Amino acid sequence: MISLTIALRSVWKNRRRSLATLLSIAVGFTAINLFSGYIQDTYTGLRRTAIHYEGLGHVTLAKPGFFERGGVNPAKYIISRDELQRLRRLIEAQPEVQLTTPLLGVSGLVSNGKISTIFIADGEEPESSARLRALPGEDRIWQQDSLDPRRSSSGLVSTGLAALLGVEAGGSATLLSTTLEGQTNALDLDVLGTWDTGNSATNDKLLRLPLDYVQRLLDTEGASRLVVLLHPEASADAFRARLAPLLKEAGIEAEMRTWEELSVFYRQVKNLFDLIFLFLFTIVFIVVLMGIVNTLTMSVMERVREIGTLRAIGMRRTGILRLFALEGGVLGLLGCAAGVAFTFAIGSIINGSGLAYTPPSSSSPVPLTVAILPVQMLVLMGLLSFVSMLAACIPARRAAQLEIVDALGHV
Amino acid sequence: MSLIQLLRVTKEYRLGRTTVHALRGIDLSFERGEFAALWGPSGSGKSSLLNLVGLVDVPTSGRVILDGRDTAGLDDGERAGLRNRQIGIVFQSFNLISVLTALENVMLPLTLAGTSSATARHAALLRLGQVGLEGQAHQRPDQLSGGQRQRVAIARALVTDPLVVIADEPTANLDAATGHQIIELMRSLNRSQSVTFVFSTHDPRLLDAVDRLIRISDGRIVDAKEAAA
Repeated sequence: MISLTIALRSVWKNRRRSLATLLSIAVGFTAINLFSGYIQDTYTGLRRTAIHYEGLGHVTLAKPGFFERGGVNPAKYIISRDELQRLRRLIEAQPEVQLTTPLLGVSGLVSNGKISTIFIADGEEPESSARLRALPGEDRIWQQDSLDPRRSSSGLVSTGLAALLGVEAGGSATLLSTTLEGQTNALDLDVLGTWDTGNSATNDKLLRLPLDYVQRLLDTEGASRLVVLLHPEASADAFRARLAPLLKEAGIEAEMRTWEELSVFYRQVKNLFDLIFLFLFTIVFIVVLMGIVNTLTMSVMERVREIGTLRAIGMRRTGILRLFALEGGVLGLLGCAAGVAFTFAIGSIINGSGLAYTPPSSSSPVPLTVAILPVQMLVLMGLLSFVSMLAACIPARRAAQLEIVDALGHV
Repeated sequence: MSLIQLLRVTKEYRLGRTTVHALRGIDLSFERGEFAALWGPSGSGKSSLLNLVGLVDVPTSGRVILDGRDTAGLDDGERAGLRNRQIGIVFQSFNLISVLTALENVMLPLTLAGTSSATARHAALLRLGQVGLEGQAHQRPDQLSGGQRQRVAIARALVTDPLVVIADEPTANLDAATGHQIIELMRSLNRSQSVTFVFSTHDPRLLDAVDRLIRISDGRIVDAKEAAA
């Protein structure tokens, strides 16, 4: 307790020097929190985009081998109508499941009669697909334009592709592909509307089509994948682990992928941001370490006689170490406390500013927001305070090793 | 049995390539309740001798026996414990902890010994009263005069009821009148509470107050005799 009193009052006594150290800790703490809040917000956005906007759901089931070779030989990996019904009954009976929706992938050429270009599409069940694309807690559909269950020959065209073909809502196009048996097949498509995929790499290729339209185009009654949407609090990995033995028991052979495994973009962004975060954190870590070592080295040099006196009246070497470690800890804690205030203030300004930016490979601007993460702030506060204590031990160890007579004779 | 015994004690320091012989085979003992002064010119070895008695330094050779216990084999922690409980130290420059109040400074040795805050506070206030500073208990050292600071240092040295209080030139940084008052205070505490005091000085005016005067020169005791108080 007396060590804490001395530590606190020494910090206050040298307040100008302490303030400089506190500010460097506070700025570092704020930088970590704001960047961390930004990337968490981005991860959340990307997660929502992947699960709802891209329609990946939480878990996707397909025949074993589909995810590696399904594009080369789609017929081999088709889930038949009967298998699909069994699968859906089994999965929809699980408590964490919100819905299932089948998909049937197709690619080919789309033409407006004058020019043709490639397209990629998934045949979707309009009702369940629309529910998949609705955000959690919202009744409205994510997409303003969703597929119309009453119009089985109409679909949505990505804005880039629509511009390329010169088509708009109410127009029409022709889709050319091959059936699963290898026969060329073509069907007319009524353009129901257009939508922005949010990704410049796909915005000039994607179509959204009704499942039965794609089934007619490919001449099949089955689907290639079954997408499962869970309740928001459920874990995709845990669900997959729980479902695997149930599928085996039911004699259904299926392979499962989580949204995180399927969303290459999410993984790439996350890996990049995690690396940048590590880089930033390392810099802040070093700045805090050097700041504390510098401040307390000066403090030790100024207080050599005090150290000698404390030792002479019975304080042990460990007591001297504890004294300066506490001083470092106090500086770290106060710096982080100031950092919490800075984070809330700057975070609120950023979130309220309405700033927007266009991320790489995105086709439209997104709002610049940062998440305020209290638990992470607490953990970081504890970590930086502990680091400050450790950093203080470097000069404190020197102080503790001083011979008492030398310290007392120090001028 | 003597309270403190020094047997053939030497102390050498390295100063660059030179070896300084601060103490050259000292045999000396102090009894309980003594009020003894080490007297000699600067560099004679007074401070080195007090440092050994106060266990803040170790002899190059010889033995220092405190209350029958040979201190030679003690580790750093044990020496710190003995300094804390059995030895009180008064420094020439007072050496109070600047960020603590007078009361907290006096409480400090007890706090380090693990005494409860209430007990330490009670004992410290008692000692501050004995040195006439009960009214200054909550003042910081920089708000006190030199004489008051040295009184606080004496109260701090006494608070653990030590076997001996050592004081290295306790009046050197004080004016003559204040220095005299400090010696008088130490003397009265010695008489009223039988506290053993060993201090060094080169102020001839203070020598009349001591029971025993030990003259030291060039690291040797040249004269140790009872003085008329």
